Amino acid sequence: MNRSDFLEIAGRQFSSRLLVGTGKYESLEVMAQAVAASGTELVTVAVRLVDFDDRARDLTSHLPDDLMLLPNTAGAKTAEDAVRVARLARAGGLPDWIKLEVIPDPRNLLPDPVGTLEAAETLVADGFTVLPYMFPDPLLARRLEEVGCATVMPLAAPIGSGRGLKLRESIAIMIEEARVPVVVDAGLGAPSDAAAAMELGADAVLVNTAIARAGDPVAMAEGFRLAVEAGRRGFLAGVMEPQLAEPSSPLTGLVGAS
Amino acid sequence: MSVCTVNGREHQLEERETVARLLERLGFTGPYALVERNGEPVDRADYSRVVLELGDKVLVARPVAGG
Repeated sequence: MNRSDFLEIAGRQFSSRLLVGTGKYESLEVMAQAVAASGTELVTVAVRLVDFDDRARDLTSHLPDDLMLLPNTAGAKTAEDAVRVARLARAGGLPDWIKLEVIPDPRNLLPDPVGTLEAAETLVADGFTVLPYMFPDPLLARRLEEVGCATVMPLAAPIGSGRGLKLRESIAIMIEEARVPVVVDAGLGAPSDAAAAMELGADAVLVNTAIARAGDPVAMAEGFRLAVEAGRRGFLAGVMEPQLAEPSSPLTGLVGAS
Repeated sequence: MSVCTVNGREHQLEERETVARLLERLGFTGPYALVERNGEPVDRADYSRVVLELGDKVLVARPVAGG
């Protein structure tokens, strides 16, 4: 990848445009190997109460120190819940970056746009760098930008569904209009989905289930890394416009004509 | 002896037990103990200064695997 082609979020540069979630792996060892194979520099973590009867090793001990942790507010059903989790995480020493999720709907796991906007406004005012998970609504994206969010993170399809870039047209409008990085988050199932999102002009993608639940998560992590790089190069190179059939070989000097 | 709750469970406090001492007594390991006391987050820098009191409701969380 072009050395100068960095993903920049809130003034911080990343050479990888793949963000990876750490959930749903069969073990933390496999998770750590997949994270390494993905080349990511930014991984999401959830915040949960400690079970003092369980002496399992800490998640972070499996991850290299130079990897940035991005706490999420998964589990928050309201803006208040989300703000509480973010403040708890920051006070305890996690970064003041937060992947904001306000999800009241357990069936489709769709984010609440009003609650997300409210929480974003509160958290930005409180000094957080806010990366909101959202339905790909271009006007909501604009509102989230206006309150100071560092990115907008539209879902491609419902969380964990692996259904691919189902909301492509809405995401395309967001990309066209966004002034902050667009990170396509949730629902990507295969590396080709990630490549398609990047070709469309997304600044990055966030992948969890598609890697964690693959037959070979470590190999799939590498697949996503390559797909994100391929899609990004395609976008930068300028993908041709679809057109009618046009031969790729000369129409003159045909052997059969002589 | 005074009692507080930690993650919903009763905890017998030592005299002038701090948040840092609580984490030690509970055997917490790992770099990120995320602590809330009576609904307010406690800054990590204050763990060895904040003394827990009778009836305090303490939550201790940590980062876990998640998307």
